[in-house]
Amino acid sequence: MSELHLTDEVLMAFADGELDEPVAAAVAGAMAQNPTVARKIVEFQQSRRLTRSVFASNLAPDVPSELRAAVAAQIEAYEAVSRAGERQEPVQTQSIRSEWRSRAYPMKMALAASVAAVAVAAGYFIGQQSQPEAGRLAQLEDPLVRQELGRLGSGSEVELPFGRLRVISTYRLADQSLCREFRLHSGSSATDAVACRADEWDVTFAAAAPVSDAEYTPSSGGDLVDSYLGNLGAGPPLAGEAEAEALAQSAR
Amino acid sequence: MDEIASLLEPQIPALRRYAWALLRDREAADDLVQDTLERAIGRWGQRRQEGDLRAWLFTIQRNLFLNGLRQRKARGTHVGEEALADVQAPGTSPESHAGLRDVLAGLDALPEEQRSLLLLVGVEDLSYEQAAKVLGIPLGTVMSRLSRARARLREFMETGRGSALRRVK
Repeated sequence: MSELHLTDEVLMAFADGELDEPVAAAVAGAMAQNPTVARKIVEFQQSRRLTRSVFASNLAPDVPSELRAAVAAQIEAYEAVSRAGERQEPVQTQSIRSEWRSRAYPMKMALAASVAAVAVAAGYFIGQQSQPEAGRLAQLEDPLVRQELGRLGSGSEVELPFGRLRVISTYRLADQSLCREFRLHSGSSATDAVACRADEWDVTFAAAAPVSDAEYTPSSGGDLVDSYLGNLGAGPPLAGEAEAEALAQSAR
Repeated sequence: MDEIASLLEPQIPALRRYAWALLRDREAADDLVQDTLERAIGRWGQRRQEGDLRAWLFTIQRNLFLNGLRQRKARGTHVGEEALADVQAPGTSPESHAGLRDVLAGLDALPEEQRSLLLLVGVEDLSYEQAAKVLGIPLGTVMSRLSRARARLREFMETGRGSALRRVK
């Protein structure tokens, strides 16, 4: 693993401490190895510090006593009213509360979706510098790969002209779309990827790593893929008939 | 009384900072903070118990600011220009004053939403999720707008600093 290509958004999220493991660890690894990545992260941290220092050093005067007094008076008035009308919870209360509450739940979904979007936008690649990522991505979306993704059962392998394809698992996401985790071995590298079915099987995530001599190395991209799928809200893996049915359905 | 006050008081400095950054006028900022707190107290019982007080207060304040902005626009007064000329944070050295002016000018060049994001995340330490809540936008949008805002501010600071200073003289 020598290089990690990530969008500015991912690097910024890392600089702000907003990334979860193991994605954060992967970015940290990339930061250690890639000066460009490191510089970008430092820039994000600097710009944040700059904004903060300007406001922190310039704008912390005492709270004016009038403001304090006005707030205290307001609190007193509120408490007096609520003591008097303990039982009559206003109707309007409900609507505002539920508005606030209703926002809270989609936030979780939004979080998952955004991590997904990040990965998609990043084309999320860990891999060697030698092979241009565009070429590798093209391989992952080769018609032959797409064809096999539509029919190969999980755990099966097939030899393609440019490498060996192994389909690892199949998931149904929260939004009902169908995604498959697979691995493409070609030459000295293996790429773990996730493709989701829209009109076609589109690769939404890929992590490549050099392969040692061992026939099946534990996938180094696997942790990232797991985290990625988890963030997408993937259900349990589909197997056997359920999988075959889902594949047949999606092909229609 | 004690409970509400003890929860609200620690939030006041941050609310004033944000209000001032939006309005650039100490009196107007304190008015906004007072309106914000009054509204928050008035709706205290409607606050989600486990809810995030900070994010809730910032949401109220920003909405009040935006409402006020619409009213000011309707009345035809323009706040931004005069406010920028009136950068008078107390007790500042000339040096930090220039830094403040540059950053504020850079912030002014951004749309309000990006400005708020920079302030809430960068200055007030809200998480992306809290910021998303305050602005009522998806988390992915927070990330893309925030990174764009930071890039633009950086660009502004690098290329615009000279011209900004010249304009002041």
